[in-house]
Amino acid sequence: MSTLIELRDVSERGEDGRMVFDGVSLELRGGERVFLTAPPGSGKGLLLRWMAGISMPEKGTVCVFGKDTARLSAGVLNAMRCRMGLLVLNNVLISNLKVIENCALPLLYHTEMPYKEAMEKAGGLLSRSGFTGDPWELPGPLPMYVKKQVAIARALALDPEVVICENMGEGLTEADKEHLFGLLLGWHGGAPSRLLLATSAEAADAALINPGRRLRIAGAGIAEAH
Amino acid sequence: MEIFRHIGALALGRVHDAAGVWRIIGGAVASPLVKFRKGRRVFWDVLLRQVYFTGLEAVPIISWIALILGFIVVAQALSILPKLGGASLVGEILVWVVVREAGPVFAAVIVIARSGTAIAAELGSMKINNELTALELMGIDPVYYLVVPRVLGTAVSVFVLTFYFEAVSILGGFLLAGFGGSVTFYAYSSSILDAMGLVEASVSILKSVLFGLIIGAVCSYQGLQAERSITQIPQKTTRAVIRSLTSVFFLDAVITSIFYM
Repeated sequence: MSTLIELRDVSERGEDGRMVFDGVSLELRGGERVFLTAPPGSGKGLLLRWMAGISMPEKGTVCVFGKDTARLSAGVLNAMRCRMGLLVLNNVLISNLKVIENCALPLLYHTEMPYKEAMEKAGGLLSRSGFTGDPWELPGPLPMYVKKQVAIARALALDPEVVICENMGEGLTEADKEHLFGLLLGWHGGAPSRLLLATSAEAADAALINPGRRLRIAGAGIAEAH
Repeated sequence: MEIFRHIGALALGRVHDAAGVWRIIGGAVASPLVKFRKGRRVFWDVLLRQVYFTGLEAVPIISWIALILGFIVVAQALSILPKLGGASLVGEILVWVVVREAGPVFAAVIVIARSGTAIAAELGSMKINNELTALELMGIDPVYYLVVPRVLGTAVSVFVLTFYFEAVSILGGFLLAGFGGSVTFYAYSSSILDAMGLVEASVSILKSVLFGLIIGAVCSYQGLQAERSITQIPQKTTRAVIRSLTSVFFLDAVITSIFYM
């Protein structure tokens, strides 16, 4: 199983001067289902932003698909993100696009797939995510659970190798959580090339993805939890 | 000392903003050439939507204002010129007023009021809701996807609306001049054709395209300056309108003095 994401000796100091991460190293490989738990404000979001190449650590390197994200141009970073389904930062949908257009956007932007085919694929992804509403409505008034369904459908549109989801279960009922994590488990399917990383403030959510590895942020480091 | 520091900071802020606006204009002009293949379908989709909202939907208001302006200019000209024996100059005066100045400026002002505000408010709201970051996470360049088509769409719209405005305005004046009986249709159209030279048409094109680029870039830039709170959206929208108006009038004065003085 190849290493898909690797953090090497990364450190970051918070605005208040305390060390958020101090010399952290971590390796995430294909085929893994990883659950990361940490209380709010412990640097979980920061870690995911590094993995997405949105920001870089003060010290150390973050390698995604074997490439140091700090050395990549904007174009290569964008190409890297196409191989990832990033369900972070509240899974925001684009407000001026209809639900189905949101889902089809990565297909229309990154591929040469004909418009009709892209819309059909987006419709299929929405159906599989359990979305039963009108795909031609704007996403603004949709409930949070439905927005998360659409975000998952959109994240899976380009058939990514890595899916990272941040606080997916937050504010949802147990049944809703089970359904959404079930979608991600269905995508992963134990394939040796696919990595699923889920984070949550609640350790109990780990049971929803039946992780092979459990991690927790403790102090200024990341430890394996058993 | 404090006042100098304040003035210095203000001047630096303005220079920084101006640099940001010109970067957007440069990017808008270069992007479709540099990134011709990447995301061109969604790029054209956003651009056409912008032309629809900024250009096509502004046609009714532009028509009314142009018609009334042509009517007013001709009415004023006809109230004075016949006494001076220059009734046949009415068409020329209409060209001087409408084609040289009022057409590009009125089209720009209407676009600022209708679409400039919408661009600044929409981009501000998207920025605060983290939608720009969401685009980045999908591997989509937010400037190429959101800003460039809006700037180019606004430029195309102002260009087309300016010529539409001028045509309708001349028609409005034609109706009054003809039916008022003061000037014959032949004299009116001859004086318009005499006054309309290559310089008038070229300067009108130059003004309209530059005004459109400036409006799109200033309003996009101001919208993207919203960062923390939703209350910043109306503030940035107001600033977008003021800065766009100032830039358009300043540029108009510069171009007029270069070509007509």
